[in-house]
Amino acid sequence: MRIENHKRLKELLERAEYIRDIKGEDFEDVMEVYAQLKYAFENFYDLSEEEIDSLLKSSEKRLEELTILGEKTLTPYEIVKITRHPQRFTLQDILENVYDSYVELGGEGEINIDPAVVCAKAMLIRRVGDDFHVHQVMVIGHEKGSGEEFRRGGSAAPWGNEKALRYMRMAETEGIPIHFFIFTPGAYPIEDYPGAAQQIARNLYAMSKLQVPMISFISEGGSGGAEAIGLADLRLMAEKGYYSVISPEGAAAIVAKLRDGRPPRELVEKMANALKLTARDNLELGTIDRIIPEPPLGARKRDYEFFKRLKIELIKATDEVVLRTRGFKTFTKHALSKQTTDNFSYYVDWDLSEDEKEILVELRYEKYRKMTQWAVVIPKGLTHTLKEKGENFLRVLGNEIKYRVLKSGQKTFKRLIDDILSESSLLLKPVSDPVKTVYNLIVGKKVKPRLPTIPEEEGGVYELPVALEDRTVTCPQAEKYGCPDIWVPDLYGEFCGVCPYCGYHFFLEYQWYLNNVFDRGSIKFFDEEIASTNPLNFDGHAEKLKEDRKRTGLNSAFLSFTAKVGGISVVCGMLVADFRQGTVGAAEGEKFIRAIQLAKITRRPFLMFVHSTGGIRIQEGTVGVVQMPRCTMAVRDYVDAGGLYLVIYDNNSYAGPVASFLGSAPYQFALKSTRLGFAGPRVIHETTGQPPPPDYHSAENALRRGHIQGIWDRRELRKRIFHALLTMGGKNLYYR
Amino acid sequence: MKVDFKEIDRLLQKLRANPYKIFPVETPHTGYIKEFKVKEGDSVTGPTGKWLEKPGTPLFILERERNPKIIRAHTTGIVQNLREDLKGRFVQAFETILEIRHPLSQEEVISEVLLSALHVIYAEETARFILVPEISHRIEKHGLKRAEVRGGEDILIMTFMKREHFIKIKEEGRFIIYQVYFKPFELVPKGSPLIALCPSEDLPVLERIVARIREEWPS
Amino acid sequence: MKNKVLIANRGEIALRIMAACEELGLDYVCVYTKGDEGSLHVKLAKEKYRISDYRDMNDLLCVADYAKCTAIHPGYGFLSENYRFARRVVKRERPLIFIGPSWEAIRDLGNKLTMKRIALEAGVPVIPGTIEPIYNEVEAEIEAEKLLDELRSHGVENTSLLVKAVAGGGGMGIEEVKDLVELRPVFRRVRAYAKRLFGDEGLIIEAKIPVFQHLEVQVLGTKDGEYVHFGTRNCTIQSPFKQKRIEVAPGFDYEGKFAVYNFDPRKVEAEIIEHSLKLAKHVNYDNVGTFEWLVTPEGKYYLMEVNTRIQVENEISAQISFVHGKRINLIKEQIRTALGDKLGYSQKDVEFKGYALEFRLVAEDVKRGFQPVSGTITRFDWVDHPWLTMRTHVPRNERYEIPTQFDPNLALAIIYAEDFTQLIDRCETFLSEVVIEGETSQGAPLPNNIAYLREKLKFIYQFIY
Repeated sequence: MRIENHKRLKELLERAEYIRDIKGEDFEDVMEVYAQLKYAFENFYDLSEEEIDSLLKSSEKRLEELTILGEKTLTPYEIVKITRHPQRFTLQDILENVYDSYVELGGEGEINIDPAVVCAKAMLIRRVGDDFHVHQVMVIGHEKGSGEEFRRGGSAAPWGNEKALRYMRMAETEGIPIHFFIFTPGAYPIEDYPGAAQQIARNLYAMSKLQVPMISFISEGGSGGAEAIGLADLRLMAEKGYYSVISPEGAAAIVAKLRDGRPPRELVEKMANALKLTARDNLELGTIDRIIPEPPLGARKRDYEFFKRLKIELIKATDEVVLRTRGFKTFTKHALSKQTTDNFSYYVDWDLSEDEKEILVELRYEKYRKMTQWAVVIPKGLTHTLKEKGENFLRVLGNEIKYRVLKSGQKTFKRLIDDILSESSLLLKPVSDPVKTVYNLIVGKKVKPRLPTIPEEEGGVYELPVALEDRTVTCPQAEKYGCPDIWVPDLYGEFCGVCPYCGYHFFLEYQWYLNNVFDRGSIKFFDEEIASTNPLNFDGHAEKLKEDRKRTGLNSAFLSFTAKVGGISVVCGMLVADFRQGTVGAAEGEKFIRAIQLAKITRRPFLMFVHSTGGIRIQEGTVGVVQMPRCTMAVRDYVDAGGLYLVIYDNNSYAGPVASFLGSAPYQFALKSTRLGFAGPRVIHETTGQPPPPDYHSAENALRRGHIQGIWDRRELRKRIFHALLTMGGKNLYYR
Repeated sequence: MKVDFKEIDRLLQKLRANPYKIFPVETPHTGYIKEFKVKEGDSVTGPTGKWLEKPGTPLFILERERNPKIIRAHTTGIVQNLREDLKGRFVQAFETILEIRHPLSQEEVISEVLLSALHVIYAEETARFILVPEISHRIEKHGLKRAEVRGGEDILIMTFMKREHFIKIKEEGRFIIYQVYFKPFELVPKGSPLIALCPSEDLPVLERIVARIREEWPS
Repeated sequence: MKNKVLIANRGEIALRIMAACEELGLDYVCVYTKGDEGSLHVKLAKEKYRISDYRDMNDLLCVADYAKCTAIHPGYGFLSENYRFARRVVKRERPLIFIGPSWEAIRDLGNKLTMKRIALEAGVPVIPGTIEPIYNEVEAEIEAEKLLDELRSHGVENTSLLVKAVAGGGGMGIEEVKDLVELRPVFRRVRAYAKRLFGDEGLIIEAKIPVFQHLEVQVLGTKDGEYVHFGTRNCTIQSPFKQKRIEVAPGFDYEGKFAVYNFDPRKVEAEIIEHSLKLAKHVNYDNVGTFEWLVTPEGKYYLMEVNTRIQVENEISAQISFVHGKRINLIKEQIRTALGDKLGYSQKDVEFKGYALEFRLVAEDVKRGFQPVSGTITRFDWVDHPWLTMRTHVPRNERYEIPTQFDPNLALAIIYAEDFTQLIDRCETFLSEVVIEGETSQGAPLPNNIAYLREKLKFIYQFIY
């Protein structure tokens, strides 16, 4: 009996500790209860059994009351603390208690390529009456560990996310559903191969079309790190979980413009409220599908009831995803809503047929396409949209006929012509030596073939207003390379904002690119009216949007336009620094998707020019975050359909966009002085404890790590893009 | 390598008697001295940080063609002989504006002493120098005191009389690049040390000398 | 307002500009760099400023403003043909007069391709070749073949081609192609070189003219559209690195003492002068300028380049040109007209008399690939003659340290004579009398090119095979 009491005492002490940690030391009399329990625990054998008994009874009752009380006043920041608490359940607990058996894959505990990411083949047994059905699933998730250093609190290293992708693919091969468990404060922000941003982008790109049902469960959903394994067909969220674009501390540091050090506590709490990061908030925002209830103050390691509940919910969710592909809508609703015990009244086979797989992917695309559309101002007007729809339809039809039907019919004939006359074949095909004999054989002498060359734009370079000042500036690299001071009219005129001595690229307004890269007069903007909003009612954000709108004349940080480069028609997107540092929110995401869809419909290359992007707009919270999966799916759709997607980075490009729809581009190039990566130096320093070297995010290092395909000089940008359009892309490219 | 320990002792004694070096700070070009950022006797620091990424103390502002340029300290020390009379006035290029009295650090004493023990290549002409790109890459990759070169390898390029001349390592054997003394494209006076090499097999001897100095010259 | 000239150069040209300013009654300011303090222009100048580099336009303009200058003379070399400098000088908020042609003329004629395009436009013959930059091998092969066919159809034998970097110059980024099969590797090599050195991959292909003479036409234009020429010069004798060593005016040996022409030299001379003036007028050229021509043994001629500045060898033209019986001074004419003066005479007032030859005395080791040498000059002396003009920044008979950052040109010796026999006599007298002594920085005797000049003297006016 004594042993039993000692155990109970310990449990109660832990519980008191937990309440203290979550609610704070000033919460009611929690410290008093805690002190009593602690005293009794330390002096257990000096106290009489009666004393212990009565203490157990009284404090258990009080802790019960405190839990209920605490739950009533639970704040978002306390929820954040719950998810981070060592007593909270982890993936390990889920594997032990939710699944009926499992084998860890790709490592074990500390002996692991990345202990922060756990992959396991697991078994779920569904009881239907007296029958037992076995389901196999792939479990992939973050393991926070309970204070184990090597787990890095569930921060997946780039190679951890790579491991996750490998097992997603294995699940696809085996045709079993995937259950994702998200317990991460964020990805580990290092650029080592395969690179934090790059790997997340690759994961998203793969998940876009993964042909198995995917369910995700979020306890701690830290932004990009969460998305790496979060693009699921159904997104569940723990009632006491958080899902956010950034940690409240990180947001506070940005708002307070801190370079290092801790932001004030009040600001952190304010941010936790403002970011709308709780499960209920996210359900309202439409970024998750369902909340899994938890006991008051959250489920802990030994809350077995919760695990039982979770198991039912996971089976139900998987059933739902599977059944939707089979179109049994009414049955689904009926059966699923009633199921509350672990004795199921039906069985669902989770194997999908080929048709069902196609439907699964289609439904997934639709789901994300619709997500957060409410958070964008899209001018309505029925006639307008109908007209647009009609036009689109005609355009699709026209292009289908032109390209699909004619193309295959003419193929043989066309190839023949190509070989003789085609502009590109001469340039691309290695012409065997000596060229002249072969060449003469084909075309005969004295015929000058037209080689693709890009015409110089008449009238010289467009000069920015700043170019007219009579003064000089010093190149930032002058100390290193001894560059002389540059006269401003030269620098911003003929030098294209590039130091002629060391090649340093000065910042240029985005208008310069519009005027100097594309054929003059060929730019036509569209979707200009789509405007950024303040979906979270983030304090002060509306004013800032208004300010930027007034200053820039833009409605969002994204410009959509069609243009020509050396006569080749392209669809372009551009993220500009002038509007909210080029951050991406729902409006930018929507414009991106529409632009790339237009490129698909009109069968044009899609050029994404990143003047600068500061990542996902934190004031839009998870509404911003889900632009990552949304836009990446559009990229996948376009590339699979045969589109050529080129991304060109300039200035600063960081975080979410790079880790999704930019980073997933098959062809990425950076201008010379670009800084490119996942997290800025402050975050890296904070997370890893080491300040990164000053050139950590340089274009050269990005090239070295294999992130980009090349570094371009701004002075040659037009020529480079033209050449890239001619040489990049697969054989299915539309416009050739 | 024959190391003359007596010679090293003499040198150390000399340095101990006057453990300072005076660095004049000149105007890099013409312009107007707009403002002094330091006073006589102020202590200043050179670039700091793990990668020397934090610039040195601002000394004065030199403005030319509407470009105010902050001239910063390249070394640590005390400001002296500040030409306050020049404030607001036009100055020519290479005018000494102030001096920095720099207390020699342990590392600098070591490199000073090692000049007598190492294989040093001196400037044969007043000219501009750069490292051969390959060597420069090697230093970037492995760092000073680790990057290796072989006898007979081209190590420097001298720009002289508008032509480029390669400078070879004349001796046989393998060397560690111990120190580089010049800045690329800066006019180096004839006879100045350019680069110090240490025969790879002599590294242990060298380390012994270094250890001795470390002992005798607490940092 | 009285004009004040900033002399943005060093050496003998600085001295001559100083002298010209003094004769014109103009104030002037000199600049110099660290290491060049010992040069004569620094010693003689009353107002002078130390700058960081002769090429640093910021320093030059800062000094010009401080010293209240109204004009800048760039001399030759350094910034003289930098159109951006010329443009900035006139476009800045406190504009100055640029003593040289308009920046547009510098830009258009200074760029090989633009020059060729404009010349063709004006009907001036240029070296056969491409006039657009080529970037890829296939196009290069097509162009090369076209060019070879064209040359053969003109009866040119032993044709070979040059692959040149558009951005190159001074013999850099040029390779010869004798056979079409070599073109591809050569093209790639030059392109890689050009990309590395000049940051521009554009190449052109030109016919290589195997045997030729290098002729120059000296032109002067004014802002009022007046044009005169001061005859021709022959600069065929050059070091292997295309550096001129002996120049002689006029450009043709009318008497046939040295050269055997298969054409009428007076006719060819008249034609290249006419073409040069035509092109000058076409671009509104408004200062001194030199039009360089290649003349083949068959009497064909091609415009090679235009030097939009005063030339080193300008004085040999000046010495044989008389206006109203008086020798002209080209630098004075240049400054005077740039500041707005009318010419005051026309071509018919220009009379050509006698012959002038220039030797370039250089501290170079002729035996070791014309390597420039540095060191100290301990004795530099010559015998004065009325027919000899010495142009030098090296103090006569004083120790002088040769600065290491510049060309090691020591002096220009200009010799005038009434006829050829006399000219050669005087040249030989001079070469036997001039003394250059000194030691290199390694303590060896300082080499010079006097013996080389003596040897080459007999080749003047000849086609070099």
